[in-house]
Amino acid sequence: MNHFDEMTALLYLDAQLDTERAQEIAAHATECSSCQELLRALRDEGAWLHRSLVAGEETVPARLMEAPERGSTPWGWVTALALGASGAYTLWTSVIVPWQSQAAQAGFTQTNLLTMLFFSGAFWKGWDAMRSLTEFLAMSTLAIVVSWLLRRHWRRLMAVALVMSAILFLLTAPSPVRAAEMKHGDPNYTLRSDETVPTDLFVAAQRTVIDGNIDGDLVAWSQVVIVDGHVKGDVIVFGQQLRVSGTVDGNVRCFVQSATINGSVARNVMSWSNEATLDQKGTIGGSITVFANDLTLAGKVGGDVLGFANFTDVSGTLGRDLTVRTDHLSIASTAEVKGRVKYRSEHEADVASGAKLGSIEREVSKAQPRYLSWRYYWHRILLWGAGFVFGLVLLLLVPGFYADATAACKKYAPASGFGLLFLFATPIAALIMCVTIVGLAIGVTTFLLYAIAVYASTVFVSGFVGEALLGPKPGMGPAIGRLALGLLLLHVLRVLPYIGGWVLFIEIFWGMGALVLALYKRLRTQVAIPVPA
Amino acid sequence: MSATELVEELARVRAGDAQAWGELYRQYAPAIFRFCRRALPAREDAEDATTEIFMKVRQKLGTYDSSRPFTAWLYKVASNHCWDMLRRRRIRQDLETGDVESLPLEHPDPDQLERLQVERTSKEVRDALARLPDRARMALVLRYYADLSYDEIADTLGVRRAFVGVLLLRARHQLRDVLGAEPAGMRGAAAGSKG
Repeated sequence: MNHFDEMTALLYLDAQLDTERAQEIAAHATECSSCQELLRALRDEGAWLHRSLVAGEETVPARLMEAPERGSTPWGWVTALALGASGAYTLWTSVIVPWQSQAAQAGFTQTNLLTMLFFSGAFWKGWDAMRSLTEFLAMSTLAIVVSWLLRRHWRRLMAVALVMSAILFLLTAPSPVRAAEMKHGDPNYTLRSDETVPTDLFVAAQRTVIDGNIDGDLVAWSQVVIVDGHVKGDVIVFGQQLRVSGTVDGNVRCFVQSATINGSVARNVMSWSNEATLDQKGTIGGSITVFANDLTLAGKVGGDVLGFANFTDVSGTLGRDLTVRTDHLSIASTAEVKGRVKYRSEHEADVASGAKLGSIEREVSKAQPRYLSWRYYWHRILLWGAGFVFGLVLLLLVPGFYADATAACKKYAPASGFGLLFLFATPIAALIMCVTIVGLAIGVTTFLLYAIAVYASTVFVSGFVGEALLGPKPGMGPAIGRLALGLLLLHVLRVLPYIGGWVLFIEIFWGMGALVLALYKRLRTQVAIPVPA
Repeated sequence: MSATELVEELARVRAGDAQAWGELYRQYAPAIFRFCRRALPAREDAEDATTEIFMKVRQKLGTYDSSRPFTAWLYKVASNHCWDMLRRRRIRQDLETGDVESLPLEHPDPDQLERLQVERTSKEVRDALARLPDRARMALVLRYYADLSYDEIADTLGVRRAFVGVLLLRARHQLRDVLGAEPAGMRGAAAGSKG
């Protein structure tokens, strides 16, 4: 018989050969020293492998000490998922829908998400509602549920972030890529009245005069921009002075020193400027959103006016509401506001007798010592409740991580050091990421996670304080008790004048450091690197 | 625990006795956790898997055939669970059956094998194991840690029974390659701080 190969030897040792073949192998091995040697080496290797794998005691983590119960998770999951669902609902009803309607109202009707991101956040009024307690809780829970579901993929965090960035980038990229004309002034640029630009026009010049027609948008970086012709798309201007005397079928958006409209704008106007003026001859079909020092409305506006200005003069016709935050509001006798006038000011509005207003309402900021209001204490109780529920969700969903983070609070110096570092460095890093368009998604995600981390920090410190007071008794019940007591104590301390703010600050950076240490502990797990076969 | 005691305890667990379940868990959890640590490279995954395996064990205890050893059944449940986990997340497919079968295997030098066993510590072997492709690692763990039969390994990994030997031999070669590629003591020192 010839020498047998390694495969046959292995199968022989594992008793996988039929009797006849096994007898052949055994007979050959008695006569052949090299095959005998091979069998011995393989047998030894098998035993060595067994010893190596069985050896080495693994410390069983504390969270695995208790047997898992069949009925232990559902209610935790139900609570978390219910909160998660309410978070999703909140996200939809409080953010997406109002955002879209506000954006549409302001003229952002295209699918350019990036533009909406940049421009709509500044004037969206729903942020106040978003700050409400339950919504924040629901949103945080939603984020935690998502994080929990993705926990096994954290090692591919960068890949996830890149995919998210790519998706957002695709969403934000202007969908139809049209040809555009680029013009550089020498130093001025003029589009003559007999000229027509069939596409978008981008101009960089000292002085830009549009006497002709533009079939697309006009985007101009120029000290002075005068539109006397006809622009069928939007007008977007960065410069010192803008005057629209012609016709704009789309929207006007400008970042200028002075903006004057005495022509016609079919849709909406948004202006960041020192002076914003709608002349008597000027008409705007849609709404106006203005951030200005002086706001003058003498022409005709079809939609709402939302303004932030020191001085607001109204003498024209407004088709719908006027909502303005201003120092001085003056309404002339020629003014007509078909909707409601709502203004927030330290001074009473100067309303001329002949002015026609649907209604007028003034909001005055009330300065009342907060300690005298029962609402303040009710609010504190709600805050405590929110923290408790948030901590409870963490305890149920990630008990191991919660325990790690709470325990990490004992490492005072590293926790404080890392906490301070991450507390200040993270938003700066996120901001830097936001500056680049591709990094916007990562930056925004980082900000959201940062906000959750800051909130969670106080929960971990509360758990630690509770443990210091009640002792480290194992089990879920005692942990909940510790959390409740710790939170209560810290909330009481936060109410105290002078030191309350410092208590909160210490809680945040200390807890943040503990969170970072716990995360580090989790992430330093070994990752398999496949070897080439 | 004797076989009779185990049978009694299992009966109590089936009847819903929480204390018996706790005892059973405490007795077998360390071994299953160790198994998961060998099968899954990340400690966090091993922790999660241990909990999930015992949840399955409790659900499936009614299907356990008491004529078979309990530990073998337990390891079979654990193997299936770990392999499912790995399969679900696998980005890089391991080599297909045909490819592996056609790969030439270098005949081992018995002296070299012996030297490897002398020079390499158990820790180094386990660290090297974590660097193998999923299927190779699982095959070795199932055979040399859980002591599963060829049939059980074939069933768990979803391969033909005749292919199990090839898989094991290939895995051994890959392990030898990894262990032989670095100087003794280096890998263990590098991985010493890892969970």
